[in-house]
Amino acid sequence: MSRNDPTISRQKFIDELMRWRRGSVTRRHFLGVTGLGLATAVMAQAVPGLKPRRALAADLGDTLNFTTWPNYFDPANLEAFTKQTGVAINVSVFGSNEEMLAKLQAGGTGWDVFVPTNYTISTYKKLDLIDPLDLKRLPNYDPSSQDQRFVKPGTIDGTVYAVPKDWGTTGYVVNTAKVKGEMTSWKQFWDRTRDDLSGRVMVHDYQLTTIGNALKYFGYSFNSIDPKELADAEKLLLDAKPHLFAINSDYQPAMRAGDAWMSVCWTGDGEQLHRDMPEMAYVIGREGGEIWTDFYAIPKSAPHKAAAYAFIDYILTPEVNAREVLAHGYPSTDARTNKLLPAKVLDDPILYPAQELLTNLEFGAAATLTDPNRAELMARFKSA
Amino acid sequence: MRWYALAIYVFLYLPIVLIVFFSFNSGRYAMDWQGFSFQWYGRAFANRFAMQALATSLEVGLWTAALSTVIGTLTAIGLERTRGWPRRLFDGLIYVAIMVPGVVIGIATLIAFVTLFGALNPLLAHLFGPDGPQLAMGRATVVGAHVLFNLAVVTLIVRARLAGLDRSLIEASEDLYATPLGTFRQVVLPLLTPAILAGFLLSFTFSFEDFIIAFFVAGPNNTLPIYIFSSIRRGITPEINAIGTVVLIVSLTLLITAQFLLRSRDRAVAGKG
Amino acid sequence: MTAAAGTRDEGRGGGRATTALLLAPASAFFLLLLLLPLAVVIVYSFGERAPAGGYLPAFSFDNYLNLAARGQAFLNTLTLAPLGTLLCALVAYPLAYFLAVRASPRIRTLLLVLVIVPFWASQLLRIYAWLLILGSKGIPALLSLVGIEDLLLVNTRFAVLVGMVYGYLPLMIFPIYVSLEKLDKRLLEASSDLGARPWRTFLQVTLPMSLEGVATGSLLVFILLMGEFIIPALLGGGKVFFIGNALVDLFLQSRNWPYGAAVSIALIAIMLASIVTYMRFVLGKRGQRPNAFM
Repeated sequence: MSRNDPTISRQKFIDELMRWRRGSVTRRHFLGVTGLGLATAVMAQAVPGLKPRRALAADLGDTLNFTTWPNYFDPANLEAFTKQTGVAINVSVFGSNEEMLAKLQAGGTGWDVFVPTNYTISTYKKLDLIDPLDLKRLPNYDPSSQDQRFVKPGTIDGTVYAVPKDWGTTGYVVNTAKVKGEMTSWKQFWDRTRDDLSGRVMVHDYQLTTIGNALKYFGYSFNSIDPKELADAEKLLLDAKPHLFAINSDYQPAMRAGDAWMSVCWTGDGEQLHRDMPEMAYVIGREGGEIWTDFYAIPKSAPHKAAAYAFIDYILTPEVNAREVLAHGYPSTDARTNKLLPAKVLDDPILYPAQELLTNLEFGAAATLTDPNRAELMARFKSA
Repeated sequence: MRWYALAIYVFLYLPIVLIVFFSFNSGRYAMDWQGFSFQWYGRAFANRFAMQALATSLEVGLWTAALSTVIGTLTAIGLERTRGWPRRLFDGLIYVAIMVPGVVIGIATLIAFVTLFGALNPLLAHLFGPDGPQLAMGRATVVGAHVLFNLAVVTLIVRARLAGLDRSLIEASEDLYATPLGTFRQVVLPLLTPAILAGFLLSFTFSFEDFIIAFFVAGPNNTLPIYIFSSIRRGITPEINAIGTVVLIVSLTLLITAQFLLRSRDRAVAGKG
Repeated sequence: MTAAAGTRDEGRGGGRATTALLLAPASAFFLLLLLLPLAVVIVYSFGERAPAGGYLPAFSFDNYLNLAARGQAFLNTLTLAPLGTLLCALVAYPLAYFLAVRASPRIRTLLLVLVIVPFWASQLLRIYAWLLILGSKGIPALLSLVGIEDLLLVNTRFAVLVGMVYGYLPLMIFPIYVSLEKLDKRLLEASSDLGARPWRTFLQVTLPMSLEGVATGSLLVFILLMGEFIIPALLGGGKVFFIGNALVDLFLQSRNWPYGAAVSIALIAIMLASIVTYMRFVLGKRGQRPNAFM
């Protein structure tokens, strides 16, 4: 990969980031040398006639309502965007795709940019809740530098509705200080939950991954809506329920406190936990499980569309995006961003699992999201 | 007896002590003690999102308290003058307003208003052009949904107080040829003050603490409980505890002031009729 | 009976107009923010779930016929909410008694204020503090010092009950306090002068006269517990499923809004029925209203 990048080399970027984090350089210096200043310039070009700050603020408005997942952005990036454009970002954080969809369906959200996962986008489109994206307004987004495995769900019938933010997997995190023996599969996950790890295991509080990973125990598809297969999964879930510590998608506090020893877990949470507590190991079940892409999209009802485009364009600028990845710990889909990341990140097996593990993973399916039987199964599981 | 009381106070204050204690933690996660530091207070005040949420909650809380108190008081007085089915109807509505769970009122209000706004907005656009005013979910809708519950509560409190009023005072005032409005201003209102103050405080608290109604009807606005809820999804930081501590100190001040005001009048705030 | 001004000199028409004016703002609120949303809930409850979730207009009773699918959640709520109310009353009564009868009047106000102060700190933060107290580094760690190992307290019904008692204790203490405080102390003195033991005095004089406060507090706490969802979600770890949690899931996760609407109506109906029954049989008098809110 090229070291004579016109803006800044990977090593230099990391060095500057670390210096900034340590506090030995000011943010202004950091923004200057790392190309965040450049990002401003690029954006100013991208939005014609908006170079003077005042005019920019006037045209973009003063607010952007950004809806995303917890711990899923670098606050410094958002601040920098506000500094450059005068647009204050109002962040809302959600717990599941279903919740996001429910709120957009009900209406009145006022969201400008949100972060749907691959399997929801066709539903948003069908319900006419999202806008097609005008790529001309996203000059920093380069389709050709995207890893093609992850882009597709954002494009429906040739029209782009969403651009990729990052990708990841859903495996489980294990506190190896407490859990002995090598963990490699969903079979082990569910068996040991009902055995020596009783009372110490968490699963997500939404149907897709909880039911999906119970299905994997039997080797069924993660996305199955077959009644017989779902019945098997239900039996397993009901059997395991008394042994669970909690049903909650917010598993970091309990894992950190040592109350829970094992939990269904997304890439970035695994990375964040591992970063602070090296005994936390991230496992992708041998049988498979979920691989996913999160996207940026603009709701049809967005009140600040110009600011929404400016923000997506800004955040997808490789230098900005690289800082996002370092903050949230999810791998980028953009080769230009990866070029700026340190080898340590690119070699991290949590972010980039071995190919043989990836091949068994499945993308969530739209039918899984809207299937009423899976929803009812989840309710029975929770109320049992 | 004394020991039992002490035990209850320990029970009530144990979590509060923990919240305040861990707000001085220098570490990144609240419950993982690293050392003493004031830094999170500085960070909390510098955190634009948190301060914005706090400001929204204060604004919504004050509007809710003001509207609930005024409307609730008027309703209580009006109901004292009402007999028969209108009174029974209002009684029923008041109890239903208190009874409907927040989850239900939140979702139902959201759907009702989105539908209503959807019908009205084209009309507004027609009248004032595309850049004219449009109705949207926001602080006003939160205030509306909060007032519903609290106005019912205030009505009950004020009515209890009204029922306990000494009627001879009013008759005396009327015998002295005071106008009805004069009697109200100079006799009834001062006697109602403790109940009105109690209603104001209670409404403010309910509004300030509410998560679920605001979650549905706040549109893109975050209130403080919504902000706190989304911030603690990945672990509580001392910063959140610092915000909680500041809120506690402010409300404590409010409460002591109110208690002082109430005590100077009558201790039984909402005595039985 | 009238407390407001001036029904005597005014003509009936004028009085009516004033009354109507006084009730107008509340009427507007009830119409727009209670009846309109409730109408939406009722209409939705007869609808169908759209294929991708949400609402599809229809007229069917299927949602009501299917209420049994949330039977377990109704059952959980209908056992834990009354149990929580009862525990709340049992914990609150001695303290209210202490405050009203035993505590020195000089510090009584201070002690009362101290009861309500925790109520003013963020509810979510208080719940998370309980997670720490009941979590493995809290009480179980202390108990392991005396040989009780691996006790799991968080995410159990026990934790939910602790959270419910904690969260609603002030709402129970105040009405009981008010009813005890009104009690004529001379009655108690007379009773003991007549040679009654303190215990008998309590059972035959104090307790019956304070039952009104207990009833008021219980009603209030019960109403709020029936719709509770945050305490079971956080302290029950998602494993203790109240009807409030079922509603949140129905509206936000499975997006079966019509069914959620029917469950809401059923919940309101159950609450109305239990409260009317309670008022008739426990409070004895019809129309006696719970008004000691503070």
